[in-house]
Amino acid sequence: MKKQVFLMVLVSLMMPENLIAAKFPNGGWVAEKINARDEGVAVSRTLVMEMTDRHGKKRTRKTKAFRKYYGPEKRTVIFYLEPRNVKDTGFLTWDYRDAGKEDDQWLYLPALRKVRRVSASDRGDYFLGTDLTYEDIKLETRVSTEDYKRRTVGEGRADGHRCLIVEATPVSDEVAKELGYGKVEQWVDSEIWFVRKSKFWDTNGNPLKTVSARDIRKVQGIWTQHEIDVENDKTGHSTKFLFSDVDYKSGVPDKFFTQNTLRRGL
Amino acid sequence: MKRKIALIVLFLSVIQGAQAADSEVGSLLTARYGYGFDPQRVQSLELTWAPEIRWDWESGGRLTGTARLRSEFETGMQPSAIETGGYSSFSRAATAGESIELALRELYFEKQSGDWYMVLGKQQVVWGKADGLKVLDVVDPQSFREFILEDFDESRIPLWTVNLEREIQDWTLQLLWSPDQTYNALPKSDAEYVFTSPRLVPQAASGVEVQLQKPVRPNNILVDSDAGLRLSGFFDGWDLSLNYLYQYDNQPVLHQNVGFVPTPVAVITPRYHRTHVVGGTFSSAFGDWVARGELGYFTDHYFIETDSGVAGGVAKSEELTYVLGIDWSGLTDTFVSAQFFQSWLPGYSTGIARPELDTNLTFLIRRDINNDTLSMGLLWIANTNDGDGLVRPKVSYDLQDDLRVWSEVDVFYGDRKGVFGQFNKKSRVLFGAELGF
Repeated sequence: MKKQVFLMVLVSLMMPENLIAAKFPNGGWVAEKINARDEGVAVSRTLVMEMTDRHGKKRTRKTKAFRKYYGPEKRTVIFYLEPRNVKDTGFLTWDYRDAGKEDDQWLYLPALRKVRRVSASDRGDYFLGTDLTYEDIKLETRVSTEDYKRRTVGEGRADGHRCLIVEATPVSDEVAKELGYGKVEQWVDSEIWFVRKSKFWDTNGNPLKTVSARDIRKVQGIWTQHEIDVENDKTGHSTKFLFSDVDYKSGVPDKFFTQNTLRRGL
Repeated sequence: MKRKIALIVLFLSVIQGAQAADSEVGSLLTARYGYGFDPQRVQSLELTWAPEIRWDWESGGRLTGTARLRSEFETGMQPSAIETGGYSSFSRAATAGESIELALRELYFEKQSGDWYMVLGKQQVVWGKADGLKVLDVVDPQSFREFILEDFDESRIPLWTVNLEREIQDWTLQLLWSPDQTYNALPKSDAEYVFTSPRLVPQAASGVEVQLQKPVRPNNILVDSDAGLRLSGFFDGWDLSLNYLYQYDNQPVLHQNVGFVPTPVAVITPRYHRTHVVGGTFSSAFGDWVARGELGYFTDHYFIETDSGVAGGVAKSEELTYVLGIDWSGLTDTFVSAQFFQSWLPGYSTGIARPELDTNLTFLIRRDINNDTLSMGLLWIANTNDGDGLVRPKVSYDLQDDLRVWSEVDVFYGDRKGVFGQFNKKSRVLFGAELGF
């Protein structure tokens, strides 16, 4: 009997999944390391979004974006500067750590001249014509530990860097539907704990999009991505996010994250 | 003219000494073609140029100026078809011939100074949470050149206003003072969207000549000015505001007197009356839903009186108006909104040419697809008392970054006595293009 148990344990240890588990760090632990990376308390930056459709037609949006942590709470605001027909549009989010508390979001549309309360539950919707969703934008370089369960499935290279490949699957069908994702594979650079590449599948298991973080370098001591490329496999549409004037040191006034500033503009 | 120049000099003196650090110039060029269904004819052919300039000062202030040059080739929509009696001399647009109008839309200086934020000059002040119809968004008057079809941003008439805001803990206090005695701009009798509903204008009996007098306007820049305040804040997920406005109601009251000299004559004199407006707004989000609403109580409103024994042909009543709205965004890239408006007259008398309780409903569905380049929407506004309404399907497409084309159909239906039904021969299709540069 003892021999049988020993053989069963030996065989189970030889199963590929367990070999992988023994070789690579736990997916949840990797997520914690990513989320523990210093992002600075506050940051301001210029963000240019270049959107290209499958016919090659390009649209460009220039914005100014700010983010600030208030303990576990995060506030972000983005102001559109160009082009003319979206200029002065603003989007403000108060993101609460408590998973049971919904985020508060407001949108300022210059054509209405009103700050409008918007639902934060449409997190799977695409953000103002780009290929990232509201949830992607909110997370920035973080990953959600509430929405996904993770396991490390191997190693690979992304943008020339050696990475752990972490597979993330939504914790429930309901969450998958909300997010619009059935599975995500993330290439995590374990030297700097940065997600260099992510591949997304839709809820039917079809390839959806690939997100690549490029030009990652330290700004004022903080690892910062300066370019994100998103290729949508389904639509052929792509978005390039270009960050410049990144500043963690100057601080961002609290009043930037208010409805008053959203309405008045920068 | 002297007053205009004095005002501009005063305005410039406010920003004297400041040094411009940065400036920005932009424009919107819009072309529009409208075709009426019944009878079939060109209803509107219009070209609009709207330049905007901003100067930012090193000291932190900003000066913003916008203008609108509009040329309309169809007679019923031209500037000459709109009454100008509602405008003060400070805010009246200049015209050239029948078809061209040049308006200074906005010219204001804004600056943060300590806890105070000030906006001085000709500006739009927008209150309220409602879409499509108004409850508290009455600080500024409105042009009814196209009834309510024109975007409010375009139809709202900016006033010369002192607008001060101060943040006090979690609240923002807004103080308003406007000496600009400009009121709603109404269509003349030959205008495309002239009011004919008995709810809005007195109906002359057959054989009675109608004489429309010049409006009797408030004329004291201090005593007749408007003032208001708003207290707004965000508390535990709720956006709240309390509003108060002491104003001359933007809509003139059409007093009528019938005489016999020697034939029957109805002399109609537009007059403006004071009212207090007290109200509040709220909005909050719950999952896929956003609930919003506003309420306004007007102490002195006047209504057309059908009882010929009532002096002046108008009756006075308080008015309580509210809207409850619900937005739903549970379907990807789709926005659905419904609103329930009611207006109640506590001082109602049976001769008033509108119901004691008037109810309007609105429904909007909009879907943005193709990475937000293509937008399709349908707005329906209905009055349940008269059974009339307005249906507006619209589609717009961003051809390029700064070039948008759109088409819309505006269909009025219902009895001609209704506020919407009065335009049941004015349904139209529109095609337009907007270029930003």
